[in-house]
Amino acid sequence: MGVMWILMKLAWKTLARVMRRFGWGSLLVPLAAMSMALFGLHLWTIATVAFALSLAVWRPVVAAALVPLAMVVAGATGLVVASGVPGSPVSWIVSSSSQAVKPTPAPGFWTVDNGQTVMPLQMSVGPGGMVAANVPGQVVAVPPGTFAYLPPQGHGQPPRFRSLPINARKLAIDRQRVGPPRGFRKVVYTRRGPVMSPAGWWHGRLLVPLALILLTLGLWLAPRTMVSLVERSAELVQRLRNHMRENRWGVLLVPVALIGLTVFGVRPWTVGLVVAAVIVVIKWPRVAADLVPVALAIFALYGFDIAARWQAVSAAAFVGPGGPPFANLAQVMNPVQYGAVLVDSRQMALLAGAEASVFLALGAWLVPRTIGAHTRSMFVADPDPALAGQVARLTESRGHAIDAATSELRRIERDLHDGAQARLVALGMNLRAVERMLPASPHAAMALVSEARETSLRALNDLRNLVRGIYPPVLADRGLGHAVEALALDTSLPIELDINLPGRLTVPVESACYFAVAEALANAVKHSGAHRVHIRIQHSASPVLASPHGASFPGGTGHGPGMLRIEVADDGIGGADPARGTGLAGVERRLGTFDGILAVSSPPGGPTMIAMEVPCALSSPKTCSC
Amino acid sequence: MRVVVAEDLFLLRDGLTRLLAAHEFEIAAAVDTAPRLLAALLEQRPDVAVVDVRMPPGFADDGLQAALAARRQVPGLPVLLLSQYVEQLYAREMLADQAGAVGYLLKDRVFNDDQFVDAVRTVAGGGTVMDPEVVTKLLGRRSHDEPITRLSPRELEVLELMAEGRSNAAVAQRLFITEKAVGKHTTSIFTKLGLTPSEDDNRRVLAVLAYLNA
Repeated sequence: MGVMWILMKLAWKTLARVMRRFGWGSLLVPLAAMSMALFGLHLWTIATVAFALSLAVWRPVVAAALVPLAMVVAGATGLVVASGVPGSPVSWIVSSSSQAVKPTPAPGFWTVDNGQTVMPLQMSVGPGGMVAANVPGQVVAVPPGTFAYLPPQGHGQPPRFRSLPINARKLAIDRQRVGPPRGFRKVVYTRRGPVMSPAGWWHGRLLVPLALILLTLGLWLAPRTMVSLVERSAELVQRLRNHMRENRWGVLLVPVALIGLTVFGVRPWTVGLVVAAVIVVIKWPRVAADLVPVALAIFALYGFDIAARWQAVSAAAFVGPGGPPFANLAQVMNPVQYGAVLVDSRQMALLAGAEASVFLALGAWLVPRTIGAHTRSMFVADPDPALAGQVARLTESRGHAIDAATSELRRIERDLHDGAQARLVALGMNLRAVERMLPASPHAAMALVSEARETSLRALNDLRNLVRGIYPPVLADRGLGHAVEALALDTSLPIELDINLPGRLTVPVESACYFAVAEALANAVKHSGAHRVHIRIQHSASPVLASPHGASFPGGTGHGPGMLRIEVADDGIGGADPARGTGLAGVERRLGTFDGILAVSSPPGGPTMIAMEVPCALSSPKTCSC
Repeated sequence: MRVVVAEDLFLLRDGLTRLLAAHEFEIAAAVDTAPRLLAALLEQRPDVAVVDVRMPPGFADDGLQAALAARRQVPGLPVLLLSQYVEQLYAREMLADQAGAVGYLLKDRVFNDDQFVDAVRTVAGGGTVMDPEVVTKLLGRRSHDEPITRLSPRELEVLELMAEGRSNAAVAQRLFITEKAVGKHTTSIFTKLGLTPSEDDNRRVLAVLAYLNA
């Protein structure tokens, strides 16, 4: 008793420590271990436990979230297993009911485990690889496949079956019983009839209540953890999606490896290859992409081999173990799964050959996209860093441009919706009211009419302000120089203008520059406390400054489109910083779309000088139509 | 009174000619492009022209340019500009020749046909009419000016109305005061702003606008 007490205390302390260290996620391990208890020691049960262990150690939060799900799965599995265990309360019901439906085997017939009745022979190779052996009192079932029957080696020994190899040479060897049987498959014997043997303590007594408790607990807890699990998985899914997009051909390796499972059968080495494929896809996506066409080519060659071999073999050439020749090829050749096709006849073999052609064609199509592209990139020198920088800048500025355009559209939509549209609705309602009131009370109607007129004025005003924000009329009429002049007129500060712009710029550049000047001016008026502002706008045929990014502007060596330089200087308190506040940063982004740059010199105490440079061409001065 | 109407949108042109015809104006010509406007102004020599700023072929300030060109050839040719927007820059260009007989109004002002027709007649009579929005902007620009801050609220109101081109009588009617009181206010304003007083309404408006525009 004392020893038990100490042991329990020790166990509890260990458990408490583990829980403290790894949290609820550590519960995942015993739950996974249940699979071992239920199904025995298998590769997959061990893998499950190992997976649970690694999750609990490295991803404790995920493991904790998965615990309720694992409970549900373990509970449900436990119930299913219990239903199949003879003698357990659940299985008793199942087996007695199935007993009633199944036909009793007639003398001379034997029931194979899946309920089919077959004629027993000395050795029978039935369709679908079903085998029945003429051993009294025994009904046997074997997995699908074609088997050779080996007589029992001694009295009371079970008969043995072994897989028929694919070609005649091997068959001959097998018939001579030479060497250990390769690919020997386990034969499962099942006794039929009411099973009386009592189930073990674990299966019979403990399993069902434990499974029910786990199921209940799991179902109760699952909704709580599902939320966090879904949140976590959203990020994971996004990462996965990005990965897929970047390495779309490499990702193909996993499905291709799965096809390999069907082509070469589920064996340790094929399963190992699938796992390896997953690892390669994650770690070396480029290698994975290169492996896809190679793997496809191997499958294709194998498929061609199957197609050719089945055409070359004749069933009649073989004598069955009972004496007469085999009736069809399936009795001689091992039926093979090849992709979507189960090859058990010449026709199916041809179909498999066609499938192999598809694989090969797909592989060939992928070669230039994977191996070819990678080889090319190995021989082509690294891209010009300046060019790469330019591309990166362009990509970034394009993103900014799209963002800006989108938010601008949204603003316009909102302004229209809340402004002019709403006012027009009010106008319509007012006019309708007037229609009604006019006969009865013309005076009140008159008041409404003048109200409607006011509303229409306000709608016009809204629209006017909106258009001014989109593309100011003077800018549209006369271009940047005059627009800045008009801007200066509308500003309360005295502004000196020094504008030398003998022509028009392109509309987008003009607009970006206008709003840049407007922003700089607004800053000067609002924040700087300046007394006067000086604006200088000049266009020179050749660029004045190189870009701060190191690369010169395209064609910016004097023969280029030229450079627009804008300076907004004030005598205020300074301290303007594009990094703070979105105004100047937005201007910088907008100018960046045109490869333009913005420089701010604004020491505390002033003065502030904002300089902008945009490489752009100047069109010939617009000639007046009159 | 003969009037030339220049407006490229048919609906508005039609509306304007109807409105003016209903107030006993004679429509000398209704044109839809800037070159036609210039031709009409020079051939017809109307008593007044009502001109949209934005017109074909450039769809920029073509109407304004045509009007300015016509006034260069025929000094003092009365022109009332209409626009969806009012820009100080354009107002300044219109007023630059100091000849008067110019107006610059938002198209919205057409809604009040009495006031609009009054404005057309004022311009035809050599007066100056500025949209309240222009005047507000002018005053806003000058809001930090020392002399303007010395004006009383009432004087500011009078200044605003005067800048819009209203006569003493119209200002008095608008503010519900006597013409004599308006006269007193104007004298005070002119003194405070340091302008030479003038008995002529139009001279006075131009002086005020010139002051605000400077």
